[in-house]
Amino acid sequence: MSYEIRPILSALLRNRTGAVLVALQVAVSLAVLVNAAYVIKQRVQFVNRPDGMATEEIVSLRSTGFAKDYDYLANLQADLQWLNSLPDVLAAAPIRNLPLSGGGSGTGLYTQPGEKGIDAHVNYYESDHRTIEALGVKLIAGRGFRPEEILPPTKGSEFVPQVIVTKAVVEKLFPGQTAIGKTVYDNLGQPAVIIGIIEHMHGAWINWDSLDQVMLLPSLPPGPATRYMIRAKPGRLDALIPQLQPGLVALNNNRVIGEPVTQTVVKARSYLADRNMAIFLVAVGLVLAVVTALGIFSLATFNVNSRQRQVGTRRAIGARRSDILRYFLVENGMITSGGVVLGCALALLIGLWLSSAYDLPRLDLYYLVGGVFAVFLLGQVAALQPARRAARIAPAMATRNI
Amino acid sequence: MFAYHFNLALRSFRRNPGITALMVLAIGLGIAVCVMSLTVYHAMGSNPLWWKNDRVFAVTMDTWSPSEPYNDEQPELPPTLLTYKDALAILRSAIPQHTVVMYVAGGVLSGAPVETKPVRQATRATTADFFATFDVPFQYGRGWDKAADDNKTPVIVLANDVNQKLFGGANSVGKSLRWNDIEFQVIGVLKPWRPLPKFYDLNNGSFDEPEGAFVPLRWAVESQAEVWGNMNCWKSEKLDSYADRLQSECVWMEAWVELPNSAARARMLAFLDTYANQQRKFGRFQRAQNNRLTPVDQWLADNQVVSNDNKLLVGLAFAFLAVCLLNTVGLLLAKFLNAAPMSGIRRALGASRRDIFLQHLTEASAVALAGGLMGLLLGALGLAGIRGLYSGFGDQPSSYELLARVDVNSVLWALGLAVVATLVAGLYPAWRIGRLAPASYLKTQ
Repeated sequence: MSYEIRPILSALLRNRTGAVLVALQVAVSLAVLVNAAYVIKQRVQFVNRPDGMATEEIVSLRSTGFAKDYDYLANLQADLQWLNSLPDVLAAAPIRNLPLSGGGSGTGLYTQPGEKGIDAHVNYYESDHRTIEALGVKLIAGRGFRPEEILPPTKGSEFVPQVIVTKAVVEKLFPGQTAIGKTVYDNLGQPAVIIGIIEHMHGAWINWDSLDQVMLLPSLPPGPATRYMIRAKPGRLDALIPQLQPGLVALNNNRVIGEPVTQTVVKARSYLADRNMAIFLVAVGLVLAVVTALGIFSLATFNVNSRQRQVGTRRAIGARRSDILRYFLVENGMITSGGVVLGCALALLIGLWLSSAYDLPRLDLYYLVGGVFAVFLLGQVAALQPARRAARIAPAMATRNI
Repeated sequence: MFAYHFNLALRSFRRNPGITALMVLAIGLGIAVCVMSLTVYHAMGSNPLWWKNDRVFAVTMDTWSPSEPYNDEQPELPPTLLTYKDALAILRSAIPQHTVVMYVAGGVLSGAPVETKPVRQATRATTADFFATFDVPFQYGRGWDKAADDNKTPVIVLANDVNQKLFGGANSVGKSLRWNDIEFQVIGVLKPWRPLPKFYDLNNGSFDEPEGAFVPLRWAVESQAEVWGNMNCWKSEKLDSYADRLQSECVWMEAWVELPNSAARARMLAFLDTYANQQRKFGRFQRAQNNRLTPVDQWLADNQVVSNDNKLLVGLAFAFLAVCLLNTVGLLLAKFLNAAPMSGIRRALGASRRDIFLQHLTEASAVALAGGLMGLLLGALGLAGIRGLYSGFGDQPSSYELLARVDVNSVLWALGLAVVATLVAGLYPAWRIGRLAPASYLKTQ
């Protein structure tokens, strides 16, 4: 069986404009779709990275003391005692800034005093003995802080005797070694011993490359404003939220108690721009595919309409319906192929430009291969209906004047 | 003649309503996506103080660590923030017409008549010139004068919505209000003021609302009000007390100056350079001399207010429009060629090539114009969709409520792109038809 490539090609060459226009459309669409798909995939992966915490079970709210006689530590103790006594609460702990919120504190850690040795940037959180449970992070080595180890708020130049860090910190500072019991130093050269390792946890700034390098300190956040990070028992979050504000207000009304915010909302807000970028790209990509398909469809329809007599003649001298169908599908395939070749070059160029101008990773070639197949299939599907209509043209058309 | 051509175009549309609708839809979609991305892009990148672009400048000085730049991605730029002592030095200069030195302080407002509960309120701790430099509009009262900067008069200016909340929108000038448990007197209430982007402080969310209250800088510093903005430190130094912070190399202050002419600008730069050289004698300013006076538009560009994503979306939109226009060229050409015998008859009856060309260009223009209107409509719908995608995540209305809105520019872009569409999509098919010899089409009839 032959695909009659030569006669189709020579017919195409006699009437180039329409074919060239469709090929160009295919080329631009392929280039845009492939790169869009690649960016979408990166964003989806970015947004869905595991954060290591029990994000769906956590709510937080803020207590802001402002009066001159406000006793921060006494209020903190009373609040935490009440929060942890609630039947719907699994654990509540104080925290200065919320993970994934875009606000937080960071510092450098070193393996030797005097800012020497290996260094790691870390997000740090002041915490107490319930913080690990409140965050829902998993301790994979060592232990958590004990209640008697928790210090009052430290001054800026004070460090703490022990710290808990994430595995990412350990891998940076002590690659291939057991880190429990190892000493790390702050920028002023003061030591602390690693007593526990968290498997995975995200810090404050989602676009920071050291996001998973987190350190917990056994000291209370500096007041007089703090947040409480409260993890509800499974399924109890919705029942818990309305109790929080009135309860804390009842304990002490001479301060500002903020609205409770779920950690799910905090996280969604931080990732909103990336999520929406993915949504825009999907929407525009889909419409682009539809417009391209319509372009292919209308050219094929036009070709069929203007060749009714030729088709009739071919049928009259013995061509079968399947020959006519194949003719139009092969013709479409040839046009699409031309566009695809140009589109591949264009896609690679755009990918190169994106990676240099916007620091995106270089286009993955699998996406190009997938895009080629998808666009080719799109072309065949779009041309199918006109081709079938052509196949139904009666041989008698040959004798009619149109 | 135009009316006749337009009439012919209408007839032609009626002959192939399907293809005509397809063309209008293609152009409409292409223009809609462009209008959406351009509207957001333009709103984000606009300069809210454009009329003062040659007078108002952000002041930055490179006091950062000798071992690394402040921002690895833009190593040529000094820190966007200043140390407290350098900010004060700028404030002491008599060269600028106006000098603004400021930071975002934590505040709690209490003792108001309408909202009796205390309210947490981000407060701009700033100098008297803030209001004049940035042309901030007042509803009631006024800002404080320079004397209040120095003699610690407890005066406070409220944003419009905060005055609405605390005083029910009444003229609260002269009323007392407690800020961080200190007695203040309201001296002014702003009109609603929402510069987008928030050019005067791009460190904490480029499209955030302005702070709700404004107090003299000295009050905030001397009452040791918390820093709610960014604070970045590089030096290993003791930071135990507020006084330590004021003496430190940590950057957390912002400074702006208004300079009436280029001579004053040159004098100011010279002043900064001289100051930095003096400080070098004390072991500070260890990086290369890099003191800058940056106008607002450059400040917005340096701080990359328009994100890469928004730039990419504009590019994507135009690629999409290109596909839509290619599609339309193909459809127009097919449509015109189908109707070629009619043109043949018109030519045979005496119409010139130019007539045929103009007739078809009129038809293409009508399609593009309809596409432009449709694009504007779809674009408005799309922008509403964008606003929806950004809403519902927090108590503040999202900035996209204001950024993603159809404005005069959107309409101009839609019309401009419709003209472009006519030229790109209509010229070639109209020219092809105009060039056809009439005889070949008359023969077969």
